Amino acid sequence: MRIPPRLARLREEDGFTLIELTIVMAVLTIGILSLVAAYSSGYVAMKHATRVSSAQLLADSQMERFRALQYTSIALNTSCGATCSQDATYTADTAYSSTAQVTGCATQDQTCLSTQIKSGPDTNSYRIDTYITWSCLSGTYSAGSCGSSNPIPVKLVTVVVRQSGTTAVLVRQQSTFTSATGS
Amino acid sequence: MGPIARGRLSRRARTRAGAQSGFTIIELLIAMVILTIIMASLTSVLVSASHTEIDVNKRFQAQQNDRTGFDKIRRDIHCASAVTQTDGTTTLTPGTAYTAITVTLPSQCPTASSSQTTYATWCTLQSTLNATDWALYRVASTTLPPPTCATTGAVKWVDYITTPLGAVFCLPGTTAPTACSGVQKPTNSLPLLHVALPVNLNGAASTKESYNLVDDIALRNGARS
Repeated sequence: MRIPPRLARLREEDGFTLIELTIVMAVLTIGILSLVAAYSSGYVAMKHATRVSSAQLLADSQMERFRALQYTSIALNTSCGATCSQDATYTADTAYSSTAQVTGCATQDQTCLSTQIKSGPDTNSYRIDTYITWSCLSGTYSAGSCGSSNPIPVKLVTVVVRQSGTTAVLVRQQSTFTSATGS
Repeated sequence: MGPIARGRLSRRARTRAGAQSGFTIIELLIAMVILTIIMASLTSVLVSASHTEIDVNKRFQAQQNDRTGFDKIRRDIHCASAVTQTDGTTTLTPGTAYTAITVTLPSQCPTASSSQTTYATWCTLQSTLNATDWALYRVASTTLPPPTCATTGAVKWVDYITTPLGAVFCLPGTTAPTACSGVQKPTNSLPLLHVALPVNLNGAASTKESYNLVDDIALRNGARS
């Protein structure tokens, strides 16, 4: 007796083979892994955003200190021993200049230090590098002058906030200060 | 399926189609137990996820309010002609922490009410949301003496502040005062106001998940000394 194919299928008792099952599981694993990867990259991005916003607050705070200072007092303290030392990370930055650095901050105030380690709002530790250099709006700076018929030199303050223990820059802020604005 | 097709069914297929045996009670019980275990574990995961979501939301709001409040204080203080004690006239003593200050805003300030000289009082009161925390309010008036913190019309800006005794304001002196967390005013600098607004939903004793927003705001209309 001929059994119609529809009924024949109902009577079959074959399952999947091991090979088929393995292939399905492999495909499923790849799918799930890509989802997990999306999650973890989202987490990393969020963590980075938190760090940048904390670093921004610290940089703003440091810049505010310089805005509050008299023009003549805007300088770095480079003669207080180990606390004032400028390490390789500091000197490797583009804002660093060995010749045009403004030094001579007399007070033991934290603001004057080239490198400070501070804890941010998120309780993580950040490294704040402050660079103060003589700069010219036009002309080239040399020995206290920008060349004849050029405006007087200004002080260029650069605040770079790095993640503590690394050289990765989170925030960079720059501002110029001129004696023309009074003290 | 027509009557002809039915006639072609084999005996075995007909027997199976006619069978009425279902699951045994044992099978059913085992299935139900397994299902209960799975559902229970799923539910506990869902409940803990929803708790976490509520906590994260509250924390996000507290931190957001903290930053917004700080911005408002900064705008007030940067434009202020004077920052005094709450009577609007007595100056702040350097190196002392205060729970309240009054900021005198000249009429041109963007935060002054209706272009008149305004006295804005910033003050802390015990938080109504967490007994060990503090909340920061702002209340403004165009007449002296300025209204106090408890006045109706005071606007709450920040909650869940964990600063001890709610003393969030401090005017640093030229020596490092302990009240201002060691912050010192540099020489030849504008006066600075140290404002500490750390927030933590679980109170000051909790070391986890605190957000320590602290800044020194320059009194830009002050004199450099």
